[in-house]
Amino acid sequence: MSLEPALMTLTEVARAIAMKQVSSHEVTRALLHRIAQWQPHLNAFMSIEAESALKAAEAADAALAKSNVRGPLHGVPLAHKDMYYDAGKVSTCGSLIRRDFVPTVTSTALQRLKDAGQVRLGTLHLAEFAYGPTGHNHHYGPVRNPWNVAHITGGSSSGSGSAVAARLTYAALGSDTGGSIRMPAHFCGVTGLKTTVGRVSRAGAMPLSQSLDTVGPLARTAEDCALLLALMAGADPADSTCSHEPLSDYVAATKGSLKGLKIGVPTSFYVDDLDSEVARVLDETIAVLKREGADIVKVELPDQRQLSSASQLVLAAEAAAFHKRWMIERPQDYGPQVLMRLQNGLAVPAITYLEAMRWRGPALAAHNTATAGVDAVIAPASPVPAPTIEESDVGGGPSAPAMVQRLTLFTRPVNFLGLPSLTIPSGFTKSGLPVGMQLIGRSFDEATLLTIGAAFQRVTDYHDRLPKLPS
Amino acid sequence: MTRPTPKEIKPIAQIAGVPVDDEIATRISNSIGPAFEGFAAIAGTLPFDLEPALYPIAQVTKVSK
Repeated sequence: MSLEPALMTLTEVARAIAMKQVSSHEVTRALLHRIAQWQPHLNAFMSIEAESALKAAEAADAALAKSNVRGPLHGVPLAHKDMYYDAGKVSTCGSLIRRDFVPTVTSTALQRLKDAGQVRLGTLHLAEFAYGPTGHNHHYGPVRNPWNVAHITGGSSSGSGSAVAARLTYAALGSDTGGSIRMPAHFCGVTGLKTTVGRVSRAGAMPLSQSLDTVGPLARTAEDCALLLALMAGADPADSTCSHEPLSDYVAATKGSLKGLKIGVPTSFYVDDLDSEVARVLDETIAVLKREGADIVKVELPDQRQLSSASQLVLAAEAAAFHKRWMIERPQDYGPQVLMRLQNGLAVPAITYLEAMRWRGPALAAHNTATAGVDAVIAPASPVPAPTIEESDVGGGPSAPAMVQRLTLFTRPVNFLGLPSLTIPSGFTKSGLPVGMQLIGRSFDEATLLTIGAAFQRVTDYHDRLPKLPS
Repeated sequence: MTRPTPKEIKPIAQIAGVPVDDEIATRISNSIGPAFEGFAAIAGTLPFDLEPALYPIAQVTKVSK
């Protein structure tokens, strides 16, 4: 356990506060100190609420002194992607249109963390309306990667990835519709859990695509993700699409061994045309998993490009439908890239959209058949490490659009199938950029992914490494 | 199924209530077009009784090893 409060994991700090080894006020001050140092370099926070956070921390300490413990996150300061509504507090959704939007409801996922005792630290930056894979934002500027501030964080949970990596919050909620948790986790070197469609309520979370949106955490470890999932998961009367499937003991799952687990390595697509350093990290990760007792097998998956295409059609149509009114009334208030993405949905006929939705069941069934007997499939989260902010700016050059499209190549198929996927820090490039692998699981089997991720993190230190404050 | 042409996109967008000019229609065609092409092998091939509601059933159907 680190003695520096800000460098503890979520699990460690929650325990330390509960045991009165450190106060909520101390850890909140420690984070605010780091935020003051890093924010000018990263632009990870949308709002920093120092005064109210310290007050809330003091209240948490006072309650603890009287043995009034709210829950497993008592007094733990956290910040989340600025699209989780918190009644009475501005939620910009990364946009100009909602710059002053004050919701009247609190998202279920956030409320469950509040009920567990979290202290609100502020809000985190994101792509405008969570619709962009790089971390660029026309209105509020790009979020920067703590490992090299010239590089992207990935998006759309850009602030979540950057802030967790720089140890400015112990964990953060993200959302994943096309890769928006897994890409920032990969590019920033943190652990990110995209949950199964229906596992965590979306009520009170800004919608982008009702069929594909998922809520999940970014944190330093699989154990921390398990703690947050355990608090958030489960049916919600406010979200009829939220599943009643039984929950697992996610935290207990992180103590499990890899022995007896079968991990599939795709024979194509996810291993094709990889950046050489991503390919090396994939091989090294597989070797570690094998050494720790996992049975590594090859799997032949159905055509992933078809899944990716269907995913894009569904996302485009649903996002355009949500945004139609503002596309008519306030097109000038969108950033150009986001408006262009939204306009793509205008070209998707209802029949095409519904065909994609009708295919979702058989596509998932085909995937389940292809992976029968396999506990998880391993694949890179993206074929490449983080490109620079400049080279991935769509206005920046003729090759940029293709590059941006390539970033999400390995994430979109998983969104269409609605499967859970855990991205874990798995290595670094020679130039010091993180590389993450995703473990793709069975529907509602986040527990097995957390077992594998935690077992990997017990014998590696990629998740412990710290970026250096830029000079 | 092939990618929609700019000429096809303009009336669809008009009916949707968000009219676009030629330049935007061309850009949309180039941008979303590859997704139509990628989905072409599926489009028009699905059996009659297949409903979107079968997806949540597929989510919880156990497959034997």
